[in-house]
Amino acid sequence: MTGSRLHPFTLLAIAGALPALAWILPAPDGAAATLVVSLVLTLTPGARLGLTGIGASPGWRRRLVVFRMALLTAAPFWLFLLLLHDVPTTIATGLRITTMVATFVWLVAVLEPARLVEAMVAAGWSASIAYLLAATLSAVPVLKARAQRIVEAQRCRGLSPRGGIPARLRALQALALPLVLSALHEVDERALALETRGLVPGIRRTPLAPPHDPAAERAARWALLLVCLFTLVRRLIVQHPS
Amino acid sequence: MIPALRLDDVSFSYGTVPVLERLSFSVAPGERVALLGKNGAGKSTVVRLIAGLQRPSEGTVWVGDWDTRDCVPEQLAWRVGSVFQHADQQLFARTVRDDVSFGPRALGVGEREVERRTDRALEDLDLTAHAEQHPYDLPPAWRKIAALAGALALEPALLVLDEPTVGLDRALRTRVTRALLDRSAGSVALLVITHDLTFAAETLERGVVLDRGSLACDESLTGLLGDVTRLEPLGLAPPPVAALSAALDLPGRPVRAADAAAALARVARGRLAP
Amino acid sequence: MKSLTLDHASYWYAATDSSALRAVSLDVAQGEVVALVGALGAGASTLLLVAADLAPRVIGGRLEGSVSRHDRSGIVLPTPWTQVSGMAFTVWDEVAFGPANLGWPAHEIARQVDRALERLELVPLASRDPATLSGGELQRVIIAAILAMDPGLVLFDEPAAELDAEGAALLWRLIRLLAKEGKAILLATSALDALPDVADRVVWLEDGAVRAVGTPDLLAEGAACDAGLGTSVATVWRTGGLPAPYPLTVAHAVRGRR
Repeated sequence: MTGSRLHPFTLLAIAGALPALAWILPAPDGAAATLVVSLVLTLTPGARLGLTGIGASPGWRRRLVVFRMALLTAAPFWLFLLLLHDVPTTIATGLRITTMVATFVWLVAVLEPARLVEAMVAAGWSASIAYLLAATLSAVPVLKARAQRIVEAQRCRGLSPRGGIPARLRALQALALPLVLSALHEVDERALALETRGLVPGIRRTPLAPPHDPAAERAARWALLLVCLFTLVRRLIVQHPS
Repeated sequence: MIPALRLDDVSFSYGTVPVLERLSFSVAPGERVALLGKNGAGKSTVVRLIAGLQRPSEGTVWVGDWDTRDCVPEQLAWRVGSVFQHADQQLFARTVRDDVSFGPRALGVGEREVERRTDRALEDLDLTAHAEQHPYDLPPAWRKIAALAGALALEPALLVLDEPTVGLDRALRTRVTRALLDRSAGSVALLVITHDLTFAAETLERGVVLDRGSLACDESLTGLLGDVTRLEPLGLAPPPVAALSAALDLPGRPVRAADAAAALARVARGRLAP
Repeated sequence: MKSLTLDHASYWYAATDSSALRAVSLDVAQGEVVALVGALGAGASTLLLVAADLAPRVIGGRLEGSVSRHDRSGIVLPTPWTQVSGMAFTVWDEVAFGPANLGWPAHEIARQVDRALERLELVPLASRDPATLSGGELQRVIIAAILAMDPGLVLFDEPAAELDAEGAALLWRLIRLLAKEGKAILLATSALDALPDVADRVVWLEDGAVRAVGTPDLLAEGAACDAGLGTSVATVWRTGGLPAPYPLTVAHAVRGRR
């Protein structure tokens, strides 16, 4: 079973439930459990090629890409936490934050923005709002591809990724700035371009291929919601025994 | 004399998809070569191989006496200035001058030398007036020119450019032609991917044509550009000046506008002469 | 019947004092191809944005004078990678994005998409991921995507910039076909040598104002050649010192020779 064949709302439900449970359940055990679940998710097939890139490593190494990306993205948070807090708080908060990060990275890899738009439109949402949400998701591979191009262009001008701290900081500036500048610059152009493609408020978009929503998945979504509520209530009662 | 660039039986595939098939050609110092072919013929891949961003599956890419397999892109920057498509998105510095000087500074040449190279590159492309502006205050066409200046400032032995004139008007294209001819006179080798055959005729002297990843022909542009029977199967069309030369059978079959004008004038005078 | 009429239209981009368009009056009839030529920054792209009802409605700025449209417009921008939806995994879905946003019934969408793909010779690429396409292929996809929305007024901003010779030839033939089908076409291009066979009228823009309007013969006049806007053949003729009138194309030169 590949993650991306599930209904987009199911994927969103999972992506919402895991971080919620990570914060509700007592740390460190509860948070560790949710983290394990979310990391296992990053190892499942169904990750979109768009996130891992064209010409990415074949076979089993492709699965590790999402897993590695989740850990890499979460790493800086641990550093900050360590600087600010004692070890137990660091571990507790770190596990929770890593669950959030890993779940988000998994969601971006596995949720096809087009399917999300189709699902939302079929459920009655306006196309513009659906697109806004989907664009957030699709921004990641687009920015990643652009970042790649910028890294290549700067390396071909002599920028070396090696060297001491000042050299690396300069390298970061040469890579991050063009990415941010060109992306920001393009936001206006993109908004304009999407208007040209008919994305105007008020018109009901025709669903081309609304994703299949089996009853089992709908039930599972409700179940997830109930589990979250149940654990929340239980946690509150445990904290305030009456 | 070692060629500035030599592809020796180079093959390359993206995964299982073959892109280049046993490609061999070379560019001598000071030579100006156009890399031509339809969309998807593999031209941009050649640029990536030369820049060291990719290794050939088979065969060798020689930049001077360096095997690109043994080099990383930042090393190759000492010998190759590459400008990729959509280079206007790579600019980042606060001023055009800072961005252009990024390359030579990254190479580690002294500050005085950085200034000299930057000034020269800006002058060659008539960018000095815009040197203190923020790159993103310039329209995209000018940013492309600024990116080209960045490559010129490296003062490499080989310049590899991927579609440098897309989005430029005639005035800017002429400016690019002048700058490139000037460098080539100083023994810099040029390899330019372009589908603008008029620009190729004005700026370059030899054409290497790729067809589905293999070499279809490698010869002087003067002979190639006027021959519609050869160009058509390759998905190319003779540029107007070359077509005019062929249609009017001008002496020497010139492909450059100035040469064609001169030939026309001679023919007209000849006809008017008693 | 006029599809687009501009009457003394002047436009200023937001937060700028100098006008990008100055009292431009022009019209495009259904079935007509009008080309805008000029140096970079002369105002062609701005004019197209005004014609597409994107300026000032979407991008802000100030418009004076009047603009009237009889038909729905579609605009092909010069940067296909910004116009791509980012949400379609196949070329087919990408082209269908626009029609679906317009709320058309599924069978009508399929009809328009299939027709657009055929016209732009994209059928072999229909299941490809747009992110893997070359610049030229992507530009053709965007053109198909706009045509699939069946606009009555089609606006093109440098549509051949990324195309190779075959792609460009296909595009010019298609533009003539669209005009024959009754669409109004307004096209900004620097591909001057193609215009004698493509455009019915040429509008020369300079610094935001109309400097001249005429048939493509305009591109063989001395003034145009001096401004860098003459066709290659006309420019060569003038540079060679031969007398006017200068031939517009190779075919004209050959005919004149006989």
